[in-house]
Amino acid sequence: MNKRLLRRTDFTLLLATAGIVIMSLIIIGSATHINTPTEERYWYVQRQGLFALMNFALAVFLMNFDYKMLQAYGNRFYVFNLIMLIAVMVAGHSALGAQRWIMLGPISIQPSEFSKLIMIVCLAAMLEDKVGKLNTLHDLLPVAAYVGLPFILVLKQPDLGTSLVFMAIFFGMVFAAGINLRVLGGIFAAGVAVFPLLWMFVLKEYQKMRLKVFLDPNVDPLGSGYHIIQSKIAIGSGMLYGKGLFGGTQSQLNFLPENHTDFIFAVVGEELGFIGAVFLLLLYLVVLWRGLQIAKDASDQFGRLLAVGITSMLAFHVLVNVGMTMGIMPVTGIPLPLMSYGVSSLTTNIMAIALLMNIQLRKPKLLF
Amino acid sequence: MVENDEFIGRLKVLGVLIVLVIAVLIGRAGHLQVYDGDYYARLADGNRIRLIPAMAPRGTFYDRNGALLVNNRPGFTVSLMPLAAPISDEVIARLSGLLKVPVEDIEQKIAAHTGFNPIRIKADVTPDIYTIIEERKEEYPGVIIETQSVRDYVLNEQGAHTFGYVSEINDMELEKKKDEGYKSGDIIGKFGLERVYDREIRGVDGGEQVEVDVAGKPVQRLGMKPPVAGADLYLTIDKELQQAAEKAVDEQLALINAHAAAAVVLNPQTGEVLAMVSRPAFNPNLFAHGISSKEWSKLNDNPYHPMDNKAITGEYPPGSTFKIVTGTAALTEGVVSPEELIFDSGRHWIIPKGNADGEALGNINFVQAMAHSDNVYFYEMGNRLGIDRLEKYARMFGLGKVTGIDLPYESEGLVANRRYKELNFEDGDWYLSETFDAAIGQGFNLVTPLQAAMVMGEIAADGKRFQPHMVNRIVGPDGKLVKEFKPVLLSQLDVPAADIKLVQTGLHDVTKYGTAARIFAGFPIEIAGKTGTAENPHGKDHGWFVAYGPFDAPNVVVAVIVEQGGYGAQSAVPIGRKILEAAFGLNQPQPVQASQAAQPAQPKQ
Repeated sequence: MNKRLLRRTDFTLLLATAGIVIMSLIIIGSATHINTPTEERYWYVQRQGLFALMNFALAVFLMNFDYKMLQAYGNRFYVFNLIMLIAVMVAGHSALGAQRWIMLGPISIQPSEFSKLIMIVCLAAMLEDKVGKLNTLHDLLPVAAYVGLPFILVLKQPDLGTSLVFMAIFFGMVFAAGINLRVLGGIFAAGVAVFPLLWMFVLKEYQKMRLKVFLDPNVDPLGSGYHIIQSKIAIGSGMLYGKGLFGGTQSQLNFLPENHTDFIFAVVGEELGFIGAVFLLLLYLVVLWRGLQIAKDASDQFGRLLAVGITSMLAFHVLVNVGMTMGIMPVTGIPLPLMSYGVSSLTTNIMAIALLMNIQLRKPKLLF
Repeated sequence: MVENDEFIGRLKVLGVLIVLVIAVLIGRAGHLQVYDGDYYARLADGNRIRLIPAMAPRGTFYDRNGALLVNNRPGFTVSLMPLAAPISDEVIARLSGLLKVPVEDIEQKIAAHTGFNPIRIKADVTPDIYTIIEERKEEYPGVIIETQSVRDYVLNEQGAHTFGYVSEINDMELEKKKDEGYKSGDIIGKFGLERVYDREIRGVDGGEQVEVDVAGKPVQRLGMKPPVAGADLYLTIDKELQQAAEKAVDEQLALINAHAAAAVVLNPQTGEVLAMVSRPAFNPNLFAHGISSKEWSKLNDNPYHPMDNKAITGEYPPGSTFKIVTGTAALTEGVVSPEELIFDSGRHWIIPKGNADGEALGNINFVQAMAHSDNVYFYEMGNRLGIDRLEKYARMFGLGKVTGIDLPYESEGLVANRRYKELNFEDGDWYLSETFDAAIGQGFNLVTPLQAAMVMGEIAADGKRFQPHMVNRIVGPDGKLVKEFKPVLLSQLDVPAADIKLVQTGLHDVTKYGTAARIFAGFPIEIAGKTGTAENPHGKDHGWFVAYGPFDAPNVVVAVIVEQGGYGAQSAVPIGRKILEAAFGLNQPQPVQASQAAQPAQPKQ
């Protein structure tokens, strides 16, 4: 990388991202060290750390390429995405009732994680010449169909969480692309009207259960309601300063399942307290804020849309995941970006941040 | 760039949204951790939250008249409440001594356990153990008694193969059924109706989420979900007829010193199974509280396979009961007329095969041949029909495939045919002698007792074949009808009514002057029947008897097989007679004998 590029690097974003990843490694270590046999005690941390480093190296390397090259490959990415999602349905391993995993040698990958970023790239490429021209429902239809196909495949897996992320990305990006606000309002109204149909014909029993549990955790005190109650106890009992790293009783004594993946925020809340939780949320705010700034400064429509798409995705993940652990969002099983243990999710999010930085590197004028 | 201001304006909106999101999350964290922090800290400290599952009682089984067949009773389970501190070796040793469970077993259960619900150490303990633990609580810290409903098969061995049994779900079943909401530790139906209708009768488990103190004692209830009882099954079985059939089989087995048998009783006009017996049997109660390995190996090592429901899983050569199929085919295909006399010299003139005891009946017609079960006559029918037409009619009767009864592990049986020979034998050619064997139900043909009953039932019901079934209706715990099983007509024999009539007449004569006449002498209700003796390469022949009655308005069909019982007339027919007596209420002293005899057409209700 040459000096010019280095000088333009978005250090704020880089530091905030690195901060979250480092915090993630510490918390994963804390969450897994008790309930894992001694010889594998640091297996999760090592694995996550290794992939973080590899991803970081890959990101640095990718800085040499201009993100604008991606635009030409939009449709190919799109087809690849569909094939990948169909492959999951055909050859996937199921976990907890959903087919989400494909084994690639020793690594099990979760294509729906990658598909979010791929979807952002395709959609940005597709929307690029439609900016400011989304005035009627008719204009919006092709865009909706474009996102709708992979959306349905993900929903079929069934992966309700990821399909909702698709919707967040879609709405974030068409909003930024200047969609007529009346059309947008109409869609939301229709969505409200269609929900009962979705409830009756599309949602699986366990998905409905999760929504019901969200409204009243006591509906299923032995199942997902249990997660919510335990997670709230873990976070609440952390109080202002937390119980200290490795000191959480709820998360350490295995009261809280999946504490290194979807419920990692509960460990943060319990061990680092309100201060730690706020610190982490502020780090996210920095990342998201930079995302919007990069969108503003981007040199072309494609870059702007990409940046908005990535920011929408990250923001939605943070909202739903953190909200879920604190009982204000339903349990949908989407990870906390850069925090939750999981190779697919980590890779996707670091690549997303790398893409943001790439856009920043190629902005038209120097701000320094 | 176009509409830059518009874009920046929208970015601002997104910016505000993002700040709002983070603000809401921070606010919520503050609420939980600062405002309510003490409350949650107390919950976490006093440790902790426990789940005490409340297993839903499984649905009850009733017979067709509402008599109790399978119920639940309360049982005490000794469990350990997982605590923050491990349970001391001393307590484990004391518990081991009390429960007679090895220390290693208890430790293994503790080690294998994850999560928060109680660790079950021993299910269904006796009340004295319950008393000891309750009275000396301080000696058993962390030990709790859970009340669970335990399956109670009030008839013990009787009906065991129909009702089935329950037991804890295993890893394979869990893997398959996880999506349906089954969890580790669940009790699941493994066999019989318990298995087939598990989803309906299992109910929905509930539980309590309680806060417990350091000793594992519940202090506060945080959440509660009452269990929902499972739906009840109203079976097609008639309890008294079932018991009479069980008794008839047992008495006969003891009398002739045989060990295995099966009987099926059904209503040919509806497909309702009224009784089903398989011997030897097992006691399903053994499984309800965890069968010991000794008891299990005893069942497994029994050479007569008590765990098999021979009524639907056992495959036997149909023997002469197959002459019903051959005879129907011969009449319908017109290869013989009812009047034609065929000369039985004791053996057939092409291939020297004859009657079992070598007797020669001389000139006989169709009805006489059926009544006396004359082999030579039916060899000739096989000769005239050929194997392909025999196969066609056997399949028309529904042989060679499962009946689809609502019980697991039903066998298909086998219809003798050319293709089977080609595929399974080095010399794949079909020989006339094999057609002869097939015509009298030997050779390759195999049927289950249920299939044998179905064939007889089709003749009884003038060619109609109804779906056999075990359950009349499923009724929810709220008393609402969940599902009702109406008779389902599966097929109708493509046979002229007159030909069926002739077959019926022949079968009627079996009990008048034919092979079952001696034992049915003086029977007050007109019965049609057919005996059979199935050659058994591994030992004595199997004895068959199929029958229906009353002859003019049949509503009861019986099929009986006695493994290695010898001639059907001697082994199976006496059982059949007793079952028919019970079905028509003739087996008990009747205060109003006259009126009973006047209208014997209804099976006892």
